[in-house]
Amino acid sequence: MTVFSCADDFSAMMTCIYEAWSSRLGHDNVKLVREPIHQLELFTDYVHVEADSEKTESVVRSINQKISKGAYMWTFYASLSHEEDALDTIYRFLVLGFRYGACICQMLQNPVVMRMMELRRNVGNEAHLFVEFSRFTSINNGIYVSHIEPKNNCLISVANHFADRMISEYWIIMDDNRNLAAVHLPNEEFYIRNLTEDEATQLKMTEQFRDGFVAMWEEYFNTIAIKQRVNPVCQRNHFPEWMRKHAVEFLQSK
Amino acid sequence: MNEIITSAISESTMDKLHILADSAKYDVACTSSGVDRKGQEGMLGNAKGCGICHSFGADGRCISLLKILMTNHCEYDCKYCINRKSNDIPRATFEPDELCQLVVEFYKRNYIEGLFLSSGVLKSPTYTMERMCEVLLMLRTKYRFNGYIHVKTIPGAGDDLLAVAGYLADRMSVNMELPTVESLKKLAPNKSFETILNPMSKIQSTISEHRLAIGKSSRMERAKGNRLLENSIFNQSRLEKKPDYYAGEEGLFIESNSIGEGIKLPTVSPRLILPGKEAVLSKADKLNRAFAPAGQSTQMIIGASDENDFNLIQTTQQLYQTYDLKRVFYSAYIPINEDSGLPSLDTPLPLLREHRLYQADFLMRYYGFRANELLSEEMPNFHTEIDPKCEWAIRHLEQFPVEVEKASYEILLRIPGIGPKSAMRIVNSRRYGHLSFESLKKMGVVLKRAHFFITCGGKQMYKTPIEQKYIFKQITSFEYKDNWKISHSNENYRQMNLFDDFGLSV
Repeated sequence: MTVFSCADDFSAMMTCIYEAWSSRLGHDNVKLVREPIHQLELFTDYVHVEADSEKTESVVRSINQKISKGAYMWTFYASLSHEEDALDTIYRFLVLGFRYGACICQMLQNPVVMRMMELRRNVGNEAHLFVEFSRFTSINNGIYVSHIEPKNNCLISVANHFADRMISEYWIIMDDNRNLAAVHLPNEEFYIRNLTEDEATQLKMTEQFRDGFVAMWEEYFNTIAIKQRVNPVCQRNHFPEWMRKHAVEFLQSK
Repeated sequence: MNEIITSAISESTMDKLHILADSAKYDVACTSSGVDRKGQEGMLGNAKGCGICHSFGADGRCISLLKILMTNHCEYDCKYCINRKSNDIPRATFEPDELCQLVVEFYKRNYIEGLFLSSGVLKSPTYTMERMCEVLLMLRTKYRFNGYIHVKTIPGAGDDLLAVAGYLADRMSVNMELPTVESLKKLAPNKSFETILNPMSKIQSTISEHRLAIGKSSRMERAKGNRLLENSIFNQSRLEKKPDYYAGEEGLFIESNSIGEGIKLPTVSPRLILPGKEAVLSKADKLNRAFAPAGQSTQMIIGASDENDFNLIQTTQQLYQTYDLKRVFYSAYIPINEDSGLPSLDTPLPLLREHRLYQADFLMRYYGFRANELLSEEMPNFHTEIDPKCEWAIRHLEQFPVEVEKASYEILLRIPGIGPKSAMRIVNSRRYGHLSFESLKKMGVVLKRAHFFITCGGKQMYKTPIEQKYIFKQITSFEYKDNWKISHSNENYRQMNLFDDFGLSV
């Protein structure tokens, strides 16, 4: 068994797939994982793969041309997943994809395809939840800062939504777990930036800002519930507690 | 954009927000769905067809829009309403600027997806609607707001104002409140069926005219699966053959010929209707917006009057077909006022009944069921122990078991435990290989309900008889707990305490 390992970003993962494929060891004899590797196995070779833009491009091109655009979307979304088996599942999925073609995305009775669909769905669903539940703080009357702590790396998806929603505003969305930030200037494309420790700690302080509108939102939030219908279980089902860390309306009681 | 806006937020804003949100909370609909609109440079906001919820209140209802009244002063005296004239409650009115700033600031902080503006009747319906249109216009022009707006029309306001509101908002709604003429007369003496259905029908014909003008079909988009359903209430070819198909469905509440069908709202410029605001309004003509692109909706109160479930879902179906509503909402009646015509204050909320009606509503909109399949004159109410779809299946055991590898999408949808998503997955995947119960489960089929009704590859999951009594007993035994939870979800229990409850002291 040979294990190909790479860093946790899209380009490295695609290169890793390229290397594992072209090693000609046989699909059953390779395994792909993202670093860090927590436990090494006996009788296994480990190969570290660095990102390479040409190989990435060739993998992306092949998926788009030989399988389908949909399969590429699945691959991209699954690569953002936090699950450990994500990269290996993508590899197995592509093996099947190159054999069956565009219909692969519908062959859900195959466990690999089903797993792939679950990974992609999980990332998409989480991104949607953070589109709903992220909250912005207004700094200096015009810069809006939001903090999220998603399990999957769905910052791009979330930022994409806000790039359309608040097209003419300054805003930053920070992923506190990964120290990434999406930065947006009015009427421009946003960009993703790796933050240094200093920048990250400084940005985290923005959450202490409170203005009149926060208080008014809390007031509204408390008023709008109908007392006779109080139902915390239903509320938790829709808005899980782990997502409430940065939602101002739930912080008031602490 | 900052220079033209001076802050209209004052100390009293907080109190107004409290009073007017408190009065608005009994309105049900808070959806931001039905229209896709891209953001524009220099404007604030967009709209997503799926709708976006931003929070969930303590009652578990979603908070998507800033649901608020413009004023809770009211000339009317509807018996069930908290804001009725005869109630002694604090009253307040928002300044247009104040409300707009609240919306914009909340929107930028991602608290809300837009505004849901309703109002009590201040002075007269026309005056109230004028003030509401003023708020909407200001929001769209001065504040350049491009997000979602849902406006509730005031029954009795003029057609011109309805038209203005439609051009500025995304969704409009007229509240039915009560599904029959009698109960409306009894509980809402100032309203009449005409003043409710008349605007509804005008809005509908204006919407369809606008849709045709931009090359869409005259009727609103529905869930995609409906195209595959021969029996669906939205099926175009069946809608057109109105006479003979209506003949089979007796006891309808709305006589559609009594209301002027096909009358459209006048084409108006907001500037002409709201005089004295020229400075703000000069931009309005350039707005060029579609007329209520997210359609219209309505709501009905459940349990304040004595209609049965069959009446309600028949009315619902007719509203979908005749007025092309996007949604019909139900609201379990909450006793807030004491009145001889109303249920007493200690009446339990009909939460399970509301739940059953929503289940039926979804069965009609997504699953191709019709009202008269679910209930009938002989059986006018939903079962408390078992959901409408299971109940239907148990009454029609001659159609089961169904072989999932062969059955059509339409038949699959009728199996309890299979929904539009899992049915579509089954249909797509079975072209490429056999299915198993394991894969069905992964595709989202709820096997604990479905396994009584299906075979996969010619085999049942367990050897169970296709027998009414047996299946009913099995299903109710595990549904019992869930149903109990729904009807008692609003109750809080705590352990009795000798000291607090019986006044003992040490």
